[in-house]
Order: sequence, then C-alpha cells, then structure tokens
Amino acid sequence: MKEQPISEQDRRRRKALIAFQIVCYGYLLTMFLIQMYMYSVRDW
Amino acid sequence: MMNTNTLTMGGMTNLDDHHLRSRQAQWQADKWMMVGALFLGTAVFGLIGFPLFLRGLALQIKAQRQGLSVRPTMVTLIGYLVAIDAALNSIGWALDLVAHHTLLARVFLMAWGNMFDAGYFWHYNELWIGGATAPGEKGWEIALLPVVFCMRIAAAIGFLQMKRWGQQWLIITCWFGVVAWVGYIANMTIFADVRYTGVVFPVIGWWLYDIFYITPFLALPYLHSVNREIFTD
Repeated sequence: MKEQPISEQDRRRRKALIAFQIVCYGYLLTMFLIQMYMYSVRDW
Repeated sequence: MMNTNTLTMGGMTNLDDHHLRSRQAQWQADKWMMVGALFLGTAVFGLIGFPLFLRGLALQIKAQRQGLSVRPTMVTLIGYLVAIDAALNSIGWALDLVAHHTLLARVFLMAWGNMFDAGYFWHYNELWIGGATAPGEKGWEIALLPVVFCMRIAAAIGFLQMKRWGQQWLIITCWFGVVAWVGYIANMTIFADVRYTGVVFPVIGWWLYDIFYITPFLALPYLHSVNREIFTD
C-alpha cells in the first residue's frame, strides 16, 4: 500500500501545523523552565 | 472460465493470492504487535511487551519489502503509540479514580507520588472522593479518562484497521491531547509547590517520565495531510 504524494494544499497545511506545534512545545518548554526556576529558589 | 482477478503480477501468481498473502502477513505481524501493546499498556509489564512489539514491527516491514500490501509503517507506529499512551494513562488514572483504596493503588500511586509528584502523596485518600488530592487533578481525571482516553483507544483501533472514521477520530483525540496538555501543565506549574515539595526527584523526574505522553499530538501534521483515500469508509 504505497502512499500518494501529497498536494500543495496539504503541504501548506502540514507546514502550518508544524509551526503551531512549535508554539505548543515552546509553551511547554516555558512551563518547564518556570518550574526549574521555582526548583532553584524553593526548598523542595 | 477465467476469473477477472486472475491477473499475473510480478513475482506473484495472481491478485487473489497477493491479497491473501498480504492479509496473512499483516495479521501475523499484528498478533505480535497487539500482544506487545497489551503488555506495554499495563506499565509494569512494559519490558516484556517491548521486544514482542518490535518483532511484529520487523515482520510488517519485511512483508512491505517483499511487495505485499500491508499497512503503511507510519500508520502502524502512530496507531499503536496512541493506543499504548491511552492505555497507560487509563490504568493509572482509573486506579486513582475508582480503586484508590486497593493495595495496588496505594503502593503503585503513592510510590509514584513519593518519587515524582506529591499530588499523589500529599493527603492521599483524604478527600471525600479518595485518591489524589492535588488541586484540579480529579477534574482532569474525570474529563480525560472516560472522554478522551477511551475514545482514543477506539480511534486507534479504527485507525489501525485503516477505517476513515478511525483517522477522523484520531485527529479529534490528538487535538484533545493539545488541550489536555496545555491545561494540565499550566495546572502543574500553578500548584508546583503542592506537587514538588518533599519529593525525591522534583521537576526533572516528572518531565523525564511524562515527556512520552506529550508526544502523540506530534502526529497531527501527518494525520491532516495523509492521503485520505488510503482509509476506507
């Protein structure tokens, strides 16, 4: 079952979704860094 | 009389034979991968499941190289990953939600709480509902367990069967995953003092363990742009 090459519209859609994911993972990374900062200043 | 399907193909005898051999190869590979996924989904027996799963995956890739019509490898990987992810989340949270007083839950979840997340240690089993007491945790369990994770396992099965509804519902549950993780991590950060005080491995331990669960929505660009025609109604 070979996959067909994707259309131009799908290519743009995929690119937009990847950009969106970078934003999502950026947010998660920010939360991680906030937690790391808290870890460094608190007595956990 | 000659059947319309008795066309000669490459090294194969005919289409019927090719179809039969493809189905057999796929089922053979799926048997290994399903047993592997069942073990992996229990968390504690994960180490047993991993080699079984890899054996199934190797069988499928081999069948693909032989020219048989099997499921695309990417569909297989995403389908099983999502099913295992949902099973792992379900088992832990189902224990906490409805079986929080069992010996298994008190050992398994409180050990987890002691090591990584005090939400599962601090005042454990002291609320009227029992189980984890971290602010917001029960709300996430009730919202995500019956709605997202159950739907996600069903969607993954449909997706692995190459059904159109499986692909569509996998997209929906992967978007649920984005919402769930954005909200859950905000909650963890806001109540970080409750969740990390006194634990053995604060922050880094939790993130190392949970990063696997945060990955399923990486599948979204593929799911949105894969050729829809490979999935059947």
